[in-house]
Amino acid sequence: MRVAHSTVLKQCSGQWIRPNFIDRGEVIPAQVLGAILCTLKNPAQDSQRHKYEEERQIMKFTIERNSLLKTLNHVQSVVERRNTIPILSNVMLEASDDMVAFTATDLDIAVIENTPANVAVKGSITVPAHTLHDIVRKLPDGAEVELSLAEGERLTVKAGRSRFQLACLPKEDFPVMSAGDLPHRFKLMSEELKRLIDKARFAISTEETRYYLNGIYLHVAEGDSGSNLRAVATDGHRLAQVEQEMPDGAMGMPGVILPRKTVGEVRKLVDEFEGGVDISLSDTKVRFTFDSTTVISKLIDGTFPDYTRVIPIGNDKMLEMDCKVFAEAVDRVSTISSDKTRSVKLSMDSDVLTLSVTSPDSGTATEEVVAGYQADALEIGFNSRYLLDILQQIEGDSVQVQLADPQSPTILQDQLDEAALYVLMPMRV
Amino acid sequence: MQQAGIIQKLSERTINRIAAGEVVERPASAVKELVENALDAGATRVDIVLRDGGRELISVSDDGCGMTADELVLAVERHATSKLADEDLVNIATLGFRGEALASIGSVAHLTVTSRARGSDSAWVVQVDGGKGQAVQPAGHGNGTRIEVRDLFYATPARLKFMKTARAEYGQAQDVIKRLAMAYPGAAFTLGDGKRTTFKAPAVGSLAGDARLERLGVILGREFRDNAVEINAEREGLKLTGFAGLPTYSRGTSSQQYLFVNGRPVKDRLLLGAVRGAYQDFLARNRHPVLALFLDVPPDFVDVNVHPAKAEVRFRDAGLVRGLIVSSLRHALSAAGHRASTTVAGAALGAMRPENLGNPLPWSPPGGERTSLPKGLSDASFASQAPYAGQTYDNSQAHFTSSDSLMQPSARPVEAEGDIGGADYPLGTARGQLHATYIVSQIADGLIIVDQHAAHERLVYERMKKALADKKVARQVLLLPEVVELEETSAARLIARAGELEAMGLVVEAFGDGAVVVREVPAMLGDTDIKGLVRDMADELTDMDEALSLKERLGDVCGTMACHGSVRAGRRLSVPEMNALLREMEATPHSGQCNHGRPTYVELKLTDIEKLFGRR
Ligand SMILES: Nc1ncnc2c1ncn2[C@@H]1O[C@H](COP(=O)(O)OP(=O)(O)O)[C@@H](O)[C@H]1O
Ligand SMILES: [Mg+2]
Ligand SMILES: [Zn+2]
Repeated sequence: MRVAHSTVLKQCSGQWIRPNFIDRGEVIPAQVLGAILCTLKNPAQDSQRHKYEEERQIMKFTIERNSLLKTLNHVQSVVERRNTIPILSNVMLEASDDMVAFTATDLDIAVIENTPANVAVKGSITVPAHTLHDIVRKLPDGAEVELSLAEGERLTVKAGRSRFQLACLPKEDFPVMSAGDLPHRFKLMSEELKRLIDKARFAISTEETRYYLNGIYLHVAEGDSGSNLRAVATDGHRLAQVEQEMPDGAMGMPGVILPRKTVGEVRKLVDEFEGGVDISLSDTKVRFTFDSTTVISKLIDGTFPDYTRVIPIGNDKMLEMDCKVFAEAVDRVSTISSDKTRSVKLSMDSDVLTLSVTSPDSGTATEEVVAGYQADALEIGFNSRYLLDILQQIEGDSVQVQLADPQSPTILQDQLDEAALYVLMPMRV
Repeated sequence: MQQAGIIQKLSERTINRIAAGEVVERPASAVKELVENALDAGATRVDIVLRDGGRELISVSDDGCGMTADELVLAVERHATSKLADEDLVNIATLGFRGEALASIGSVAHLTVTSRARGSDSAWVVQVDGGKGQAVQPAGHGNGTRIEVRDLFYATPARLKFMKTARAEYGQAQDVIKRLAMAYPGAAFTLGDGKRTTFKAPAVGSLAGDARLERLGVILGREFRDNAVEINAEREGLKLTGFAGLPTYSRGTSSQQYLFVNGRPVKDRLLLGAVRGAYQDFLARNRHPVLALFLDVPPDFVDVNVHPAKAEVRFRDAGLVRGLIVSSLRHALSAAGHRASTTVAGAALGAMRPENLGNPLPWSPPGGERTSLPKGLSDASFASQAPYAGQTYDNSQAHFTSSDSLMQPSARPVEAEGDIGGADYPLGTARGQLHATYIVSQIADGLIIVDQHAAHERLVYERMKKALADKKVARQVLLLPEVVELEETSAARLIARAGELEAMGLVVEAFGDGAVVVREVPAMLGDTDIKGLVRDMADELTDMDEALSLKERLGDVCGTMACHGSVRAGRRLSVPEMNALLREMEATPHSGQCNHGRPTYVELKLTDIEKLFGRR
């Protein structure tokens, strides 16, 4: 085939072309033709192009593999595996002076991390997050990774003798989540935020029709000892309420519902950072800033129910239990029942607690444990799974169970952490 | 203007025509009477021809006992029958007994009866026109009887107007013949329209199960034969035999339910209701089983004299009949157990074979050189190369919590834990989940694909029923009672049943007009969509006869609840969760199909898979 290389290339810019030299009357897609032409090497032009590329670099930086991996670990988890919008599978890279910002989003949450890098050419692009993450994960420890991009090309990732070219999409198409005006700002220590999340999270509802329960309700609560920051979660069967001393600046903040996924992302990051977390919010968005990492999230647009009405006040039958003994006994007796119901009956009478489970299929189980109980004898049933979930949150050695009767809500409280309280509804047969 | 108030004596002709209207409504009812007569005469072959849907001609020939010339004269007279020996309307063992059919037909059509009595060497013919019998004439005819009915309803134009298209009338008649053919496998039947034979059932001999199934196969199709269980039960002198289709072989209408009492096809509400009751655990309300059941009872146990043409009967002890039907069907279906799944697997496999996909294959590469994998399989094999994201939450209890991580790939292979092959477990060991909807598990000689929602729904349903039977439906008291807005009538209907609902674990109270507040829910449903559940229950009640107790509709009610309490398709399951589901299915009766009669799992044998790849 003798064709002037340059002339055909010019024609390739159109979508469908009918090159003169193919005289069969059929139309060939430009991409196919382009692929054919690329195999027709033109050495002179090749080296020329190289030079041209150098000049047209639009982004270039090197970064140490471990810090890149860490950053990608932080941001990529918000990226959904199967996206209908392709660019949402990508992570955005923005290289500025000695710093690259990595951003990933699912349109509800965005995670942004700034990582120091050796930036040669400032610029930005987006590339598939999971692919980049997988590549970096497999690179050797301590490798220097170079990411470069020339105009009209793919993103080149180089490390040692490995070289990858990744398809990319322009930064302009990447959805930017603006936090907007966040008038309320306060700071929590990592430990504090972790506690608020951990002790409430298990009670979050997974039932999507009650979307307003699909998160943790963070708000200011007025108590006897003044105002506190309070986290509450409930699935309508049980409730967890954890309080925290009022941080400066939180006073006057609106009550907000943090979505479950956001809670998960934030919780993952909390483990990696010590020190303080900056939280700022409006009534529609929240931002968590850890050091160089920022999570911006939408809030659940709904009204959290007035849960205070359902927390009983007059429960006067007190059961004091060694938490570990209690949890183990519940776990043991519930082995007998395989189904989801898992009702465990607690019978209390002068310092003895009898736990029993009856399963129509597999039989019965009972266990007696020493307890602190002086009130009138009482029998009450609970979902053993729920009971165990709560007992797992208790830090102290003992738990106080405040009961009223077999139909009414029961309160469980950590003897060591009185600022955490759990409400559990009984089961009835 | 009508002359009111004057009582007139109706002419005999008019009386006959009114009576004819009761017996002969349409060609199909004439055909029924004539074929029944043939069978009563002990025929072993019955040939029927219908022209123009029976309007132009109905001809029924048989090789039965035939009639002598004297009998022929009597036969076409009103209230003449040879079948009631001593005017005893209680002990009826024949299909006919009123002695009205021939006379009635003769009053609305041109009727010709030609017959030769067994043992006689001459045949005779009699004609009836406008209700008047002509003199008997000698005729040439072989053994048996031929009855020809021409110009049906020529004498009653009003009825003629109500005739449907020839095709519809023909179809009705064919249905009548098929029903009778089911009850008489010992006789051969043919039906034609004068040009070709549209139905043909050769004689298959005795009434034994095999012959009957053979006959049913001819009428209902070969597939029925492969998907039916035999029913054979006896209780207090009542005998129920026949074949019942597996729930997985269900239909959208109840038109394929054939019921017989003492060989007489009936469409009795009591019997149909009993069938419905027996299947309700296995089928959705809009699905219907296919079956043919033969109830044989002592003649004095049943009154067939309810209405001459209507197929209703009356039993001395209806409860006994219902009980017999429900229990023997349930028993047979339970015994059939997992059979449902294997038949279905066969169909699925058939569909998967490349040659069954037709050519050209929509997704095959243009060159078509490569062996094309069935779509599902190739997807799975690609997906299994995706990295395994691992388990994201605590599974120590193997409960059905939802994963809040959506980051896992669509198919998650499970690391092979040695070479277990699931020899100890009939449903094997979970190997992965496809499209967050199907569980794939490996068994010793094949693989099993489980529809997670259908399977789980069945388990919840069975648990629910069991708990109800034990009167132990555990209820979770709600911390946040849920208010559900409904239509006023729906809310009222729900509240009227509050007591019954409570026994099922759902505690509702009135909450002003058109709303209810839910205070307790069945604990086994977990964190469920309460509003959706209550609305569905309300709909369920709307459709339900008010006189029925919820217990009688337990299937529907539990089904509604179970659907809400079950893991959805699209929910990712961890390995322990998948295995727990498999183990529970093994331990649960009827887990082979969901409440809607679909299979909950299919099994593919290794040998079948090998066939797919042309290795066998
Ligand atoms: N195909 C037939 N073969 C022999 N006898 C017949 C046949 N059809 C009718 N008969 C005789 O005619 C009588 C009248 O028939 P029909 O009017 O149908 O009344 P039924 O069947 O109620 O007795 C029957 O009792 C029977 O003796
Ligand atoms: Mg008759
Ligand atoms: Zn369902």
